[in-house]
Amino acid sequence: MFKDLDPILHSQLRLAVISLLIGVREAEFTFIKEKTNATAGNLSVQINKLKEAGYIEVIKQFKENYPQTICKISKAGIDAFEKYVNALESYVKPSGQ
Amino acid sequence: MQVEENTMENEPLSARESLLVIQSMIDKTKTQLGNNSIYFLLWGWLVFIACLLQYFLMVVVQYEHHSYAWSTMLIGVIFSIVYSARTKRERKVKTYAGESMGALWTGLGISFFTLCFILMQVGWQYAFPIYILLYATGTFISGGILKFRPLQIGGAICWALAVGASYVSYQNQILFTAAAILFSYLIPGYLLKYRTAASN
Repeated sequence: MFKDLDPILHSQLRLAVISLLIGVREAEFTFIKEKTNATAGNLSVQINKLKEAGYIEVIKQFKENYPQTICKISKAGIDAFEKYVNALESYVKPSGQ
Repeated sequence: MQVEENTMENEPLSARESLLVIQSMIDKTKTQLGNNSIYFLLWGWLVFIACLLQYFLMVVVQYEHHSYAWSTMLIGVIFSIVYSARTKRERKVKTYAGESMGALWTGLGISFFTLCFILMQVGWQYAFPIYILLYATGTFISGGILKFRPLQIGGAICWALAVGASYVSYQNQILFTAAAILFSYLIPGYLLKYRTAASN
């Protein structure tokens, strides 16, 4: 089951991160952590997986002497999310429609 | 599945659970938009009070320099600059809607300011209908960006008031402007504020 769903996105936290980023231009790591209620460690690992897949860009910089991590969705990420949602629809729709 | 309360891990998802995660996250970015209500309320009250003050000075007191009432706008300019600088520093997310709103109102703010110099040359007789027209444009477009119908309705009412104001005396134009600001800034501003409070 769900063999057509992208395994990178078919994980609760990674899907939540992409769903947050799809609606914004960019978001800080702390914002994503706050909205997903994830632990910093787990979120870091999942963000890294999304980055390695090319679905998000991660920018590390300093803001007023504090390190800041900014994430934004890439074109490949948008395409993957659209494909994922289309595939989901086929599972949710009753057969014959 | 309680997406909001549980710590997210990497559990297997059903299709419906996936849709719930997507819906929940998209809803969370929507609540970022309500912060705009502070600008509508600040400028709404300032312009509303300035209109009534000018009308009082002009009609009741018959004070020659009744336009001094508009010096209260300086409070709004200073507050807006300080508040936007502070929120920009604290902002953790940039939204497309937020950036569009910033560009729209910065542009309109410059237009309000520039218009003062034009009106100094051509005369202030029809200043208020032109200002109401700018309120209508800004409010209507904001309603489209924020997908908030009361702002669009407020904008539409302002277009009618702008036409109406051009047919009345200068002192009555002031009251038309007060009404315009009530429908385009104050009422939608409070509705936006309550919508944000309800969704948080």
